Amino acid sequence: MKKKQTWYALFLAFVIGLFAVANYSTDSEEYSPIPTAEIAKEETPFDKMMRVLTHERCVNCHPNDNIPKQGNDSHPHYFGMARGKANMGFEATKCTTCHQSENNAYSGVPGAPEWSLAPAQMYWEGLNRVEIATSMLDPERNGGRTPEETMHHLTEHELVLWAWNPGVDANGIPREKPPVSKEDYIKAVKQWFEEGHIIPSE
Amino acid sequence: MTISLNVNGISQTVEITDGNTPLLWVIRDLLDLKGTKFGCGKAACGACTLHIDGEAVRSCSYPVKLAKGKTITTIEGLGNEENPHPVQQAWMEEIVPQCGYCQPGFMMATAALLDKIPEPTDADIDRNIINVCRCGTYYRMRKAIHKAAELSKSIETVKSENDA
Amino acid sequence: MPNNKKKISRRKFLVRGGLGTVGVVAIGSYIFRNPIRRQILGMANSMDMAYMGDTGNPMLWFEITKENSILLHSPKVEMGQGTFTSLAQMAADELEVPMHLIQVVHATTATGNIDGMSTGGSTSVSGLWQPLREMAATLREMLTLEAAKKLALQPKDLVLDKGTITGGNKTLTYAQIAEGVSEWDVPETPTLKSLKDYKYIGKPIPRVDLGAKVFGDPIFGMDATMPNMLYGTVVRPTKIGAIFEGADISQAEKMPGVVKIVQEPDFVGVVATSLTAAENAKNNISVTWKTPNNLNTEDIVAMMTVGNGKSTIIQKEGSALDEEEEEVVSLEFRSPIGAHAQIEPNGVLASVEGTRATIKIATQVIGLTRKEVAERLELDEENVNVIPTYLGGGFGRRLHTPHAIQAAVMSKAVGQPVKYFFTRQEEFQHDMFRPPTHHILKGKLNNEGLLEGLEHHFVSGDVGNNSAMIPSLLPTVLGADIGAIRGGFIQYTKIPNLRSTYWHVTLPFATSWWRSLGLLANTFAMESFIDAMAVKAGKNPVDFRLAQIEDDAAGKRLKAVIQAASDKANYQDDIKEGRAMGFAASVDAGTPCAQVAEISIENGAIKVHKVTCAMDPGVAVNPDQVRAQCEGAIIMGLSAAMHEQMYVEDGTLKPTIYGPYQMALMKHAPKEIDIVLLQGRDTPGAVGEPPLGPIGAAIANAVFRLSGKRLQEMPLKLV
Repeated sequence: MKKKQTWYALFLAFVIGLFAVANYSTDSEEYSPIPTAEIAKEETPFDKMMRVLTHERCVNCHPNDNIPKQGNDSHPHYFGMARGKANMGFEATKCTTCHQSENNAYSGVPGAPEWSLAPAQMYWEGLNRVEIATSMLDPERNGGRTPEETMHHLTEHELVLWAWNPGVDANGIPREKPPVSKEDYIKAVKQWFEEGHIIPSE
Repeated sequence: MTISLNVNGISQTVEITDGNTPLLWVIRDLLDLKGTKFGCGKAACGACTLHIDGEAVRSCSYPVKLAKGKTITTIEGLGNEENPHPVQQAWMEEIVPQCGYCQPGFMMATAALLDKIPEPTDADIDRNIINVCRCGTYYRMRKAIHKAAELSKSIETVKSENDA
Repeated sequence: MPNNKKKISRRKFLVRGGLGTVGVVAIGSYIFRNPIRRQILGMANSMDMAYMGDTGNPMLWFEITKENSILLHSPKVEMGQGTFTSLAQMAADELEVPMHLIQVVHATTATGNIDGMSTGGSTSVSGLWQPLREMAATLREMLTLEAAKKLALQPKDLVLDKGTITGGNKTLTYAQIAEGVSEWDVPETPTLKSLKDYKYIGKPIPRVDLGAKVFGDPIFGMDATMPNMLYGTVVRPTKIGAIFEGADISQAEKMPGVVKIVQEPDFVGVVATSLTAAENAKNNISVTWKTPNNLNTEDIVAMMTVGNGKSTIIQKEGSALDEEEEEVVSLEFRSPIGAHAQIEPNGVLASVEGTRATIKIATQVIGLTRKEVAERLELDEENVNVIPTYLGGGFGRRLHTPHAIQAAVMSKAVGQPVKYFFTRQEEFQHDMFRPPTHHILKGKLNNEGLLEGLEHHFVSGDVGNNSAMIPSLLPTVLGADIGAIRGGFIQYTKIPNLRSTYWHVTLPFATSWWRSLGLLANTFAMESFIDAMAVKAGKNPVDFRLAQIEDDAAGKRLKAVIQAASDKANYQDDIKEGRAMGFAASVDAGTPCAQVAEISIENGAIKVHKVTCAMDPGVAVNPDQVRAQCEGAIIMGLSAAMHEQMYVEDGTLKPTIYGPYQMALMKHAPKEIDIVLLQGRDTPGAVGEPPLGPIGAAIANAVFRLSGKRLQEMPLKLV
């Protein structure tokens, strides 16, 4: 009887442990034993930046299969819309058939200037944060940008910053924003680049 | 807010308090052109498709303020009984419409497609024509799209012969 | 003069002076007789419905304009099914006028000639086949008699041609003949022409509404306007069963463009100067709802399980199968909640002035709409004029349109016309859905590999029951829901032991008529099972079906379509170049239909390449439009069978928009549809719904042949 109870306690501890890990890993792909509460103060500029760049608001338009994703469940864009030849949709039915230069509160269709998919080589979907950062700095995969140009792109481009003004969905419910404020994100990106844009090993 | 725009070849000036009002309602309720339809208001069904500067746009999701100075074509401006657009002509020859409600949006989307791809393949059609029809007229629409391409081609031929 | 004439008193004529038209009235004499219960149940499945308009009173059917065209006031609405064109063909042939002289318009309640029941059930053309032709022929004879008078000749000496009558060397148009006539000689109903003599009936005449629909004419309910029109919205709950308790309107009242917030015991509405102003104000009203439940799809599925609710045996031959026996095969099937998803949302324009109301509306129930508005506003029914418009899709969704009441109440409150329509979210959450179903099929083969016994046990939510259109007593009398049982009967009449048992469960949200009613789901279950039994018997599914149908009149017609579909498609069991065929057949409202679906599986998804369809609707008044109905029904049925599904989450019906509510698009529609029409009887039968029957099972059966998987649930998915 006693033995049984011990096993039970051990099992419970194991489950709680799993839960803690699971709980943390929603923030990023990687495993870290640091308890959630401590993240805020321990977080590096890289951590902060990548918590944004791995969010659905960003990754949904950096697909690995030419199909834009939608929503927090990142489902394929409805109606079979896809990249097309110039990342702007198909020949006659383009991104701009529905998406304009700003969000539309009546329809719930999101919009921003240059609404389009990131070019195919800039895919992030399925990559971990280290791989995304590596891709971001690789001129072969970042549109030939220097690190400084990439920094400007990440902190100034209206389509990137749309993530903090994502509008409402078809039912009028506000879309979820990235988990870091725009100001903190911009600060973090700039700091990371200024400090030599070093990509940690994991 | 005053907005000037050109609709079906006619310059129009619209007075409106909410510049975010979807273009659809300006076209339907202020300019009284009822051929552009409301189906969902969410840019999902395509019934409100019209052309802005020659591009297919779903007008339920297009704020009128962005239409300032733009050239807009609706189904009423695409063609008329005396001078139907090849798409409309093909739609009549294939007897496409059933209830008819979604058809203007489909015809506008098709006209835009033929403008970009004069002789679309079935795959071109499947990619670009993604409006929703509940009566299930897709089968005849596909035939009509191919026929419209033929008609446009023969019109082009006649035109160039006349020019020569 | 022949002495078999009777004079209709002037009082019974509706002479429309001063409108540029010459009025002519015709009176029908078709009375719907109530057969006894069993016959009605049988009729619901197999027989044609009679025309159910009020034919006891004089009503305006035809008007002859000064320009010599003929206005046909249609008691049936045009919702895409092509009825206007078929009616015009019928009238033109008996009136001896060319098609272009006939203009079909919707009758209004003010002109009287409305179908008191509805437009639905695939009955418009078949129901009006006899009365309309007889009335047209009567009018033709009345004009002939009148021309004889005017020309001082005998009727036999006159020649009718293209809307004119010539006698001696004088020619009069119908308009000239009718001008100024206030008393007509009305002959006994003339003998109708024979089918072979018709110029238009039986020919693929282009739709009469083609131009209007291709050039974007304002013909729909959504397009209706009136001077000084305002825009209304009504706050609707998002949760199932929510009851309105009250609203805080203080914010909304102050918003720009708001004319009035209308508060009633059962709803709150906003009237504003523009639609967007009304919508914006509506979003700022905070409503208190009493929400009784937080249901989920699993709860609905649990409710919708055979054995729940009340049961009725609708078909019984021989003895029941013994469940203990090893040879008894049993399979279960399910279908989900389906939305109508018609593209024109429900809407209405109402104008109430003093004791009178005018309602412009896309509806399938004109009389019921008038009655409901009159009751709520305490007006006399004759002072409520319902003017039907073209419908941007019907499919059964508009067999109850009580939103006319809300618009009328709002119009009365502001003293101006009010236009009100549903948002798409409201359309999806407040649909009257196709009910989900559950089926248990049981069968046993005999030594020859044919069925010795077959049973269909099925449960459905309301279709006809609790419908505003059906007298509330009727379901009690009948015991079964006349809509849900459509297609629920076993058509393999040679099988000695048959049972079909229907179970009824009323769901906590509205379910109702959806094009073809129970047919799609019932046929999916039944014909999938027949296929499974054919496979078990090692027989070709076409031969397996043909061997088990009696050679009575109905059976012969069913066999003929099965054979025709099989021949035309060159049906075979083998997989060829990655494609397989599936076969299914059904009988609905007396019209048998068989289909072959040819499919492949591409990246795990079912792709339907071709559908062959053989149908026997009797006389096809307009064969092109019969084909159009077949094509449309196949695609709509494919959409429902392969893509569509509503679900319930935390007491809310979802999804609320196209896209998440997946439907067949251009790319999903078969690129080839091959239709064979047979004429197994000499009158027109049902067309609009029967071809929706077989498609789901035909696809599922093809999937089985290709993948070995027996799909038992709609929407059909391989993963």
